[in-house]
Amino acid sequence: MDTVVINNITKKFEHTTAIDDLTLTIPTGQMTGIVGADAAGKTTLLRIIIGLLCADSGTVTTLGYDPARQKKELIAQIGYMPQKFGLYEDLSVRENLEFYADLKSVDKNFDELLDFTGLRPFQKRLAGNLSGGMKQKVGLACALLGDPKFLVLDEPSVGVDPISRRDLMRLVRATIKEDTTVIWSTAYLDEANSFDNTVVIDKGKVIFHGPPETLAATSADFEREVIRLMGGYEEKESQIAAHYIYRESTVEYPVEALNLLKMYGNFAAVKNNTFHIRKGEIFGLLGPNGAGKSTSFKMMCGLARPTDGTAKIMGVDIRKNPTLARSYLGYMAQKFSLYGNMSVRENLEFFAGIYGIPLAKIKERVGSIASYFGLTVYFDQLSEKLPLGIKQRLSLACALIHNPPILFLDEATSGVDVVTRKEFWCHLRALAKKGVTILITTHFMDEAEYCDNISLFYQGETIAVGTPAALKAQAAAATMEEAFITLINRKDAESGRL
Amino acid sequence: MRILWAFIKKEFLQIFRDPSSILIAFILPTLLSLIYMYGINVDSVNINLGLKLDDANPRVVSLARSFSNNQYIRTKVYDDKDAMYSDIVNSKLQGAVIVPNDFTVTLNNGRTAQILVITDGSETNTANYVQSYASGVIYQWLETTGYSKQQVSLIDPQLRIWYNEKLDSHYFILPGSLAVTLSLVGILLTALVVAREWERGTMEALLSTRLSRLHFVAGKYFSYYILGICSLLFNVFLCIAVFDLPFRGSYIILFLVGSLFLLTCMGIGLLVSTIFKNQFLACQISLVMGFLPALLLSGLMFPISSMPAFFRYLTAVLPQRYFVSFIESEFLAGTISDIVLINTVYLSCLCLVLLFLVYKNTLVRLEK
Repeated sequence: MDTVVINNITKKFEHTTAIDDLTLTIPTGQMTGIVGADAAGKTTLLRIIIGLLCADSGTVTTLGYDPARQKKELIAQIGYMPQKFGLYEDLSVRENLEFYADLKSVDKNFDELLDFTGLRPFQKRLAGNLSGGMKQKVGLACALLGDPKFLVLDEPSVGVDPISRRDLMRLVRATIKEDTTVIWSTAYLDEANSFDNTVVIDKGKVIFHGPPETLAATSADFEREVIRLMGGYEEKESQIAAHYIYRESTVEYPVEALNLLKMYGNFAAVKNNTFHIRKGEIFGLLGPNGAGKSTSFKMMCGLARPTDGTAKIMGVDIRKNPTLARSYLGYMAQKFSLYGNMSVRENLEFFAGIYGIPLAKIKERVGSIASYFGLTVYFDQLSEKLPLGIKQRLSLACALIHNPPILFLDEATSGVDVVTRKEFWCHLRALAKKGVTILITTHFMDEAEYCDNISLFYQGETIAVGTPAALKAQAAAATMEEAFITLINRKDAESGRL
Repeated sequence: MRILWAFIKKEFLQIFRDPSSILIAFILPTLLSLIYMYGINVDSVNINLGLKLDDANPRVVSLARSFSNNQYIRTKVYDDKDAMYSDIVNSKLQGAVIVPNDFTVTLNNGRTAQILVITDGSETNTANYVQSYASGVIYQWLETTGYSKQQVSLIDPQLRIWYNEKLDSHYFILPGSLAVTLSLVGILLTALVVAREWERGTMEALLSTRLSRLHFVAGKYFSYYILGICSLLFNVFLCIAVFDLPFRGSYIILFLVGSLFLLTCMGIGLLVSTIFKNQFLACQISLVMGFLPALLLSGLMFPISSMPAFFRYLTAVLPQRYFVSFIESEFLAGTISDIVLINTVYLSCLCLVLLFLVYKNTLVRLEK
């Protein structure tokens, strides 16, 4: 018997069709991965399956129930972990567990669960004071209470480094019984190969369904196949780079970090960080969550004050003249720092203004940059209503509006679909070729491969620097992900932490 | 039952750990009470009065003394008219009195003498005080001088002030302010709690458990009712024990009607929170719907009977209005069954309607 049978469901929201005539069966006793970019329809699909939302048309049967009408009976047999984990931040780990155990009317013997997740030492800590990875574990523990027949996990691995991701997967695999069905949604294509059964969703439709090996053997191949299924991707010459005006300068290392140190009380978030980025180089900062990437990043752009050391942008000391140093930067953050209730044009005009483009030239510059970025058709739409990929392009346009010689990208590609990411990287490489120096942080290991040089960051320190090939050789690994895990484990072993 | 109990326990843990709930329930009322008790004075106003005496007659000097002897008036005598006017312009004076040079001469001739009283009309209320203080002082002075040889008055009105013998406005403002405080506790505090569940994503997790709509509504009402009642008792204690206000009614009636009022306010708060699912918005709306009407339209500061018809009818849907009229009479006049009854009936109706709306609007899924 199948756990979930879905026939031709459609779900529309105000502006968009989230699920478009989707048909799917999920087999019992297997782990099914639902893979897709943000806004592909993953969360809506999961919510419909467990009865938190109702489809506009079509039928759904979950564990033999109709979730639209028999939600009460159905919910008693499901363990669900929502995207924000559903934890009460002002309750301790134990109180959260007890609360959910009461709501599910199961007994409160958490010993096994606490040992298994390694949460025992943190029982008394408030959930709000846990790290992202720990919260995930508590959320998972809450979902696992009462041994549900059907475990539904909505993006349990979002924003998490490869090591924590593997841990979590191992944890789920080990806890479930043989006949437990698991749904695990994710935005990372490279996770696709770790499921028994993989469903790839794009724009509310299933584009692939089956054991992942039947599509491709490795995650790199899987990605290529998915791109093909999404309609293929053709690399075109980047219009953005073609119209970029590079101003020659004699600075050899446009971006330099010199012994950066950041202390929070007695805790060193960043220790003695030093690197030099050559002109036209793409430099990647990689590392697990909480390694100090963001802190380094903030110090580099003068948003956080270093406890010691400094950074130089085009040779200008960021501590001495932050305003001048920042004027060389184009900055694009993970959460699109656009004004949602302003149109594309207004956003561009605003950023042109604050980046110091003369008033008389703003209109012309905005018009031309919009045409290079293919944004002219969206000119008068509110930016919050744009599709994610277009939002990302708009963010990049805003960052590049003043032709900066340096670009800082902080997890700029999270949540974007694979085709859009490819396109984005095509622009970045072309820009680098024209001489733009790029500093980037990312959780996608395949993106790390595109960088010229990588600094692997762990516990506030750089533990390895080099080209992707050099790092892989150093770890004797075939892929970047393996290299990442090996190097960090090696560091742990050296410091006697294992 | 286990589910409801767990939910209530969770609410209390959150109440104790969230400083804002203690702040709104206990610190804020204390502050408000202190302000009402010591900060606000609607009975009398101290004014600065300019005095210019153009008449050099020594009898006029005794008039000046009468002015300066008045406890509410600070007088300053001017020789230069322009200097006095400029002090009025700069708001250093709230009014001025000019005694003309023919003042005593006219009085001596048995004719009606004139005195000029200037007031600052940009503050109407103060202007009225200046006017009445000034005329009061002048008439008193006139009685003592012997200029007036009036006949003995035929009627001597005997004044008796009921309920508030000292005519101390604090006696009704402070109990009435309980309506403001409890509105804040009831509406503001509860407005945040459902919205918070939505904002932090915990609502989605709750909806995927066996917690039913009844559990949810009952749990929220119960937990915050307890907090509100503690706040009510605390406030009554402040009024009676600390500020030494007379209480002539029944504590049981006060507790019952107070509970009813609290539940009504919580209904408003929960409804706002349930509908908007956003803490900021819920907070704004509850301030506009809770605090302002409680202060301005409840009859606490401004009598409802003197409002324009539209606002008079508008107050009919405000729970604060019924509570203010109840609590003022409960404190000062004791339990009057008609007043208790009619206010209770209105409050109960509002309370039930709100409860029904809250229940109807509490979702069992993420959308309707």
